[in-house]
Amino acid sequence: MGAALSGLTEGSNGSGVGPGLGDIPESCVACVFLYLTPPEICNLARLNRAFRGAASSDAVWEAKLPANYQDLLHLVPPERYRNLPKKDIFALLSRPVPVDDGNKEVWLDRVTGRVCMSIPARAMAITGIEDRRYWNWLPTEESRFHEVAYLQQIWWFEVDGAVKFPFPADIYTISFRLHLGKYSKRLGRRVCCFEHTHGWDIKPVKFELSTSDGQQASSECCLDETAHDEINGNHKRGCWIDYKVGEFIVSHTDPATEVRFSMKQIDCTHSKGGLCVDAVYIVPSDLRQRKRRVLK
Amino acid sequence: MASSRKITLRSSDGESFEVEEAVAVESQTIKHMIEDDCADNAIPLPNVTSKILAKVIEYCKKHVDASKAEDRVNDEDLKAWDAAFIKVDQVDQATLFDLILAANYLNIKSLLDLTCQTVADMIKGNLFPVRNEWLNFTFSIANRELVLVCLTEWVAHRRLFCS
Repeated sequence: MGAALSGLTEGSNGSGVGPGLGDIPESCVACVFLYLTPPEICNLARLNRAFRGAASSDAVWEAKLPANYQDLLHLVPPERYRNLPKKDIFALLSRPVPVDDGNKEVWLDRVTGRVCMSIPARAMAITGIEDRRYWNWLPTEESRFHEVAYLQQIWWFEVDGAVKFPFPADIYTISFRLHLGKYSKRLGRRVCCFEHTHGWDIKPVKFELSTSDGQQASSECCLDETAHDEINGNHKRGCWIDYKVGEFIVSHTDPATEVRFSMKQIDCTHSKGGLCVDAVYIVPSDLRQRKRRVLK
Repeated sequence: MASSRKITLRSSDGESFEVEEAVAVESQTIKHMIEDDCADNAIPLPNVTSKILAKVIEYCKKHVDASKAEDRVNDEDLKAWDAAFIKVDQVDQATLFDLILAANYLNIKSLLDLTCQTVADMIKGNLFPVRNEWLNFTFSIANRELVLVCLTEWVAHRRLFCS
């Protein structure tokens, strides 16, 4: 990126070719920045004084923050954001902010400034979670909450959750982050064990969501592939997959949107097990499409 | 309808352009000059060359004509016209920046938005010529303090945004 920048002020080095990018005044640079993303702005800030000044201007960063960023700020202790310029407010909010006594996390996507949320398994109601024959908590670095719920075996598989939050107007996708099989590190390599993994190919799991204003969505998916696909390699095992529940639309930030979501497989004629449940992600839909499997 | 009064604009290289008042007042700067009664003779624009002034006038004329028509279809046609107007191989980069400076000086918001968005797209598309000696660039700056400040800021920005 540094190499690319060196050519940007070609014209302004007095070669008489005419003005270059380095010659435009700060107010015009701020205008250009309205069309660029925060990482691009920060990269360009090192170009010259006008760019540096424009990259710190409140007008530019206020446009990058969501309309209801004040609501997000209220989640943070006031002494952390008092007197901060808008740019630093953006930086503050683009790191995960705990919500609901630390049960959930909210952050702004660094590129688009849109609100994303993550709800850990701890904050969800999981049937049988207190029974160690069924569920266990595994500490791990592969989850942003540093632990996942591991299902050994159960007949009634149900995970429910809810959140009430002033989401900015947008279309959001809810997804569950799941992993078939138990993973661990052996001699520095990641190893998966599928000794408990069973029952997911018999009947599909049902994912549902509903909102306080009457929207509903659902989807069904078999979490595992049937046995004969194992010859070609089972792509559903051994990796984290985001299972999309559905989408919901937020039209107004006020009143706060309440969403309930769940994941169920309650056919008690067969047992299932060998699954890690990490978290639920609520992310603007077109953002999710851009970042397919990189949610960590 | 008010009579279309003609305003004369004089570029930095002495060329005069006669335009209708409605076109001239697309520029807030010129509009204020007219309101302050400074426009009896030609309005001098020392910061704008004739080449750029001609383009600016072309832009303003098109937008004034478009706003007169009542057709909604004209919105898309106008956008297409704007895109053709600013297309970089027609408008070389120096002209593009001259247009930004002119739009800023003359305070024509729509032209400023159009040109700034074009520059933003070019930055995203890496359409600026690339030179490989980044070190030459940083150390050729006479003001060493600026280098230090920029480098410090860059490190701070990287920490914040590029982790």
